[in-house]
Amino acid sequence: MAVKKIKTKDKHIKNLATIVGDASSILYQKVDLLAYECDGFTVYKHSPKAVVFPKNTNEVSALVKYCSDNQLPFLARGAGTGLSGGAIPLNNEVIISLVKMKKLLNVDLENRLAVVQPGYVNLKLTNSISDKGYYYAPDPSSQSCCTIGGNVAENAGGAHCLKYGVTTNHILGLEVVLPNGDIIELSENGILDVPGYDLLGLLTGSEGTLGIVTKITVRILKSPESKQTVLAYFDRVDDGSQAVSDIISAGIVPAALEMMDKTAIEAVESAAFPVGHPRDIAAVLLIEVDGIAAGIDEQINQILEVCKKRNVREVREAKDEQERASWWANRKTGFGAMGAISPDYLVQDGVIPRSKLPEVLKRIEQISQESGLRIANIFHAGDGNLHPLVLFDARIPGETDKAILAGSACLQACADVGGTITGEHGVGIEKREEMRFVFNDEEIIAQTNIREVFNPKNLLNAGKLFPTPGRCGEIKQVMKEATTVS
Amino acid sequence: MIATELLINLESIIPRERIKSGQNQHHHLGNNAQVSVFPTTEEEISLILKYANNHGKKISVMGGGTKRGFGGLTESVDILLSLSLYKGIVEHTVGDMTLTVKAGTTFYELQEYLAKHKQKVSLDPTWPEYSTIGGIVVANENGPKRLGYGSSRDVVIGLRNIYPDGSIIRSGGKVVKNVAGYDMNKIFIGSMGTLGVVSEVTVKLRPVAKYESLILISFKEGSIDEILMFSKALLDSVMEPVALELLSPTLSEKLTGQCTFTVAISFEDVESSVHYQEKFVKGIQPSGTEMDILSESEAQYFWHLFYTICPNGAKESAGEETEAALKIGVVNLNVLSIIKESQLLQDSYNLVVESHGGLGHGLCQVILKGSSQKVVLAIRQMRETVLKLDGYLVVKHLPFELRQKVDVWGGKPSHFFLLEGIKSKIDPQKILNPKRFIGGI
Amino acid sequence: MSLREKDLGKGPACTTMKSLSNYLWSDHPDEKKWADCTHCGMCLESCPTYELTGQEQHSPRGRVHLIKSVAEGKLEVNSHFMEPVFACLDCRACTTACPANVDVGGLIEEARGQIRQAMPLKGWKGAVSKVFLQGLFPHQNRLNSLGSFLRFYQKSGMQKVIRKSKLINIMPQHLVEMEAIMPEIQPSVRQKYKNENVIKAKGKTKNEVAFLTGCVMDVMFSDINDSTINVLTRNGNDVSIPQNQTCCGALHVHAGDRDTGRKLAKQNIEAFSGAEKVIVNAAGCGCMLKEYAELFREEEPEWHEKALLFSTKVEDISKYLHDTGFEKPKATINKRVTYHDACHLAHGQGVRNEPRDILLAIPGVEMVHMQNSDRCCGSAGIYNITNPEMAGAVLESKMENVPEDVEMISMGNPGCMLQMAIGVKKYGRNQKVVHTIQLLDWAYQKEDGIEGKDIWQ
Repeated sequence: MAVKKIKTKDKHIKNLATIVGDASSILYQKVDLLAYECDGFTVYKHSPKAVVFPKNTNEVSALVKYCSDNQLPFLARGAGTGLSGGAIPLNNEVIISLVKMKKLLNVDLENRLAVVQPGYVNLKLTNSISDKGYYYAPDPSSQSCCTIGGNVAENAGGAHCLKYGVTTNHILGLEVVLPNGDIIELSENGILDVPGYDLLGLLTGSEGTLGIVTKITVRILKSPESKQTVLAYFDRVDDGSQAVSDIISAGIVPAALEMMDKTAIEAVESAAFPVGHPRDIAAVLLIEVDGIAAGIDEQINQILEVCKKRNVREVREAKDEQERASWWANRKTGFGAMGAISPDYLVQDGVIPRSKLPEVLKRIEQISQESGLRIANIFHAGDGNLHPLVLFDARIPGETDKAILAGSACLQACADVGGTITGEHGVGIEKREEMRFVFNDEEIIAQTNIREVFNPKNLLNAGKLFPTPGRCGEIKQVMKEATTVS
Repeated sequence: MIATELLINLESIIPRERIKSGQNQHHHLGNNAQVSVFPTTEEEISLILKYANNHGKKISVMGGGTKRGFGGLTESVDILLSLSLYKGIVEHTVGDMTLTVKAGTTFYELQEYLAKHKQKVSLDPTWPEYSTIGGIVVANENGPKRLGYGSSRDVVIGLRNIYPDGSIIRSGGKVVKNVAGYDMNKIFIGSMGTLGVVSEVTVKLRPVAKYESLILISFKEGSIDEILMFSKALLDSVMEPVALELLSPTLSEKLTGQCTFTVAISFEDVESSVHYQEKFVKGIQPSGTEMDILSESEAQYFWHLFYTICPNGAKESAGEETEAALKIGVVNLNVLSIIKESQLLQDSYNLVVESHGGLGHGLCQVILKGSSQKVVLAIRQMRETVLKLDGYLVVKHLPFELRQKVDVWGGKPSHFFLLEGIKSKIDPQKILNPKRFIGGI
Repeated sequence: MSLREKDLGKGPACTTMKSLSNYLWSDHPDEKKWADCTHCGMCLESCPTYELTGQEQHSPRGRVHLIKSVAEGKLEVNSHFMEPVFACLDCRACTTACPANVDVGGLIEEARGQIRQAMPLKGWKGAVSKVFLQGLFPHQNRLNSLGSFLRFYQKSGMQKVIRKSKLINIMPQHLVEMEAIMPEIQPSVRQKYKNENVIKAKGKTKNEVAFLTGCVMDVMFSDINDSTINVLTRNGNDVSIPQNQTCCGALHVHAGDRDTGRKLAKQNIEAFSGAEKVIVNAAGCGCMLKEYAELFREEEPEWHEKALLFSTKVEDISKYLHDTGFEKPKATINKRVTYHDACHLAHGQGVRNEPRDILLAIPGVEMVHMQNSDRCCGSAGIYNITNPEMAGAVLESKMENVPEDVEMISMGNPGCMLQMAIGVKKYGRNQKVVHTIQLLDWAYQKEDGIEGKDIWQ
């Protein structure tokens, strides 16, 4: 907090510090940097050159320009809750942390939009407008901590995107610092369909490789008149996943349709937010319906009918908002809860056509048996977005490798049935090679060609998102080191 | 003869009966070509593109032709690539609520097919009998129900694109959530066919609503303030209209017989919910207005009519009057100013001006009919108004000749170099729909 | 790194672990505590120091990562490591937020133990620490003398003189702020009841409890101790005040002085050995008492079991009253009250609703919700003395959450009360800072017709 002095001979550090104004806005000493060697994905670790904390767009622009002019690799970071390693400084990057740009700049309820800085935390937006009956729809499980800037980079999803769409469906405008330092505005006032290629859509989900977002205009929604939430318990996973498929094909659009299997239930019930799920149950569905109150009961009844047909053991309806909130807390902290039953976990993010749920869940069970590692499943069943959590202990030699392979096999299983390798966590470092499961070389080059337009020097977040054919050996080396370190 | 050589070369790719030459070289809407081809396979499309790319031939891409008057500064190019025969459902897994369809399938055919499964593509383009799904996506066409259901960028989950070099590049996939790699779908949607030929479209579907109704409220006094107050009240409520559209008096007269500013509110849900919402609207109905609640079949007829108000580029000959259609984007509630201004234009330029705009999404359509000179002047005045509101105006339909006088897209944005960069990476020879898009792309 | 892994395979695991780890002193940070951390980041927004700095080394997962890195030999115990570890308020909000129940607070205290062994405090901070932690808190007689002195300071007119003269300006600003809100010092209850083995219940005895009077509490807030005894006896409790009890040791443990912590723990465990229930009215003390076992994980393990047993007896006064039932006061206290969750009550002991229920049971009390009520106020033991700048910033953001239109802020911890009183004064607010039990006691007193509390009006 006190005014610090820069104690280094590195001229770049000194110059970067000058750009952000003072020494308390830059970190460059080993112990401080250590906290930035990974994000929510801990398999790979690498120390950054420095971490800088700009306070406004002009500072971001100046930092980027400096890095670009001096050939310093750099990347942007928000809260660092990403699960695919998108913010890990593989190339000793200068990390541009956007957490000090955390203001809510404008709320325009009449036109249903809000303008935020990238470091603004997702849930704070909803909290700041909920008293007026509005909310921001994308709700990744980490929403209490993750930043909207990070959400844009990853095109974050969440439990309620089944009905309301993912981040990209809620972004109306962006201010972006390009990798050369130029500042551009895309749809400044949040007006739809501005002429030109849809760069807004392209940048959302580009995992911080095309530019750094410094201002975001988002759509806000009116909170639904009514919500009803139920838990449905099944004795067989198959019945649970058939029920999901049946609900969707019955023409019901639930706000959320989540599923957890037995291992996942064990974890959440042993962790911080237990809600009393029966421990002997094979699968639980968390189903939420929202909308006009007059229509809710009809939908719930229809869902219950479907569940009955699929041999549901028990159904619970949320008594009140408090119970509903506790169910969601239980679900949303599910990944972290794995810590309670396993020292390490690796979460995957495959998506499959919903009708393939039973088939793929069986395949995942097989993979678990073959690898000898437990795999828990917590997922957005309504979207077909699976989150197999491979449980392992990195202290046991070789087990990290096994976990990585098992995770990859799960993604292969998703790709095999016409699905994809990531639905909301992004490719990052983690799934670079798995990109080949879904895209051929030409298609990957088509994408790197787009990157070249924005990021010709590839100084911004290099080594992410795409497999690098020429550097296979290098990647394997990194993987090896990573597995032995952690 | 160059044309002969072109024909011979094309015949080696595609059977002669699906090649037409020398027709309509001087179509009043332009975007024509010496030769038209009608491929039925992806391979044919790919070979045609490859051929054109290697031989410097320019291609104009067309579906149903409804948007022939949308952009384009070249009257005639070498090849008109029509996808009208490249049609049909590729894959539809009912339980997955996703569908893959060939680009040349008309929207009407598609919805008819899906209706059997009580499903639909939640877009509402004009001229559904003519418009193809490919054209709708590539021109990013949508209507009033965007408020409830979004647009192509929210509905399309996967595309197959044929690049000028003939390679087939898939973007997205067939699952409803997908962040593997860049979201390339987005740059093709609304690209006006300048980046590749979309051959297949995969969309997520929605169930057909169990019930729907339409409320028409006519504001007799024509008080804009009253409409504003009413709209704000409805938008701030928990009601869930799928459309909240303001119709200009001229358009209203055409559709409802009432020459007043009219607000059209559409509800789609289970019946009990729809009636509940109707009741709510009755409760906030401003005094001095008239309200009409259309039943399901009446509502459907209204929308049927609604989707034919826009000039149809597929019409072979020009009428006596010049027709123009504008797409205007402003901040939501500024729609009121645009619709009001359009009504004023009608009087000041002696035109027929029909317009409507979504109070919940900010997009307007203005249709002008009259003498060509007046139409051009009116568009210019409208653009000035729009720019003052920090919005944009795009000319969706205008005869070729007038497109030389009126900038279809408005000026270039400051980040135009990025758009140019994307274009030149994908289509370096600029063979696809040359000069059809913003800034002469 | 792969070399190291090979080494691991060779010798007995424990010795090689020791050679890797840079924790070279006894009483290591507990590996089990960080093993559950998956680096998910759900703790970030709960952390006041992360909120203020935005820097991850000042976040819970960052600190855990650093503590783990020392054990893995990637980092040494030095002043760079010390800064983030000692900047932690030990507010435990991260423990509440953590999906895997990682005991970050426990790890921090253990790491501080290592740091203090490696680098004993020097200079001004060292002196302050020594005077307060070793010279004062553990010694009841010295505390009593301090109390008498402070009373003299206030009553003799010396306070007025010092405040008027420039003399006060030689103190650091944060100490001036503290002096300014010093409550009126009353004689301590331990002195008051030193000749009574048991203070009998009013009416029929239902339970017997022992009472921890606390060190600071009994000097600065002996009126709250009085209230606590009143409330307990009124509700059928015989109250004993074991004379051998001492400071709970929380401040020592927070500061990394785990040896003194253990010494005090043992003394208290023995002093209360005859009690069935140990009632505490200071959240920080209660939390510490419940966690004594942590101190004996490695050192003096023979005490571990006793400490565990002891911890089951400890109960916060509000929870105790709530669980055993209390008489609803009949007199009305018409006040708008907001409640601040003391960290060591809400996050440390999971007591959140009980104090609120007590307040709601008082007729006339109107509860007003405080946003982020479980956010630390910045007091954090003696954090506000050792890290005044950060503490001040934390307090500022806390005060922004205190509703404008309330008359009282109620809470269950003396440290918070001092800090919040500073906040009220510093930001020109006019709320009265009260202990939850005090308010209940006043309601009883009013019911009984006892005069003299202007607070009732």
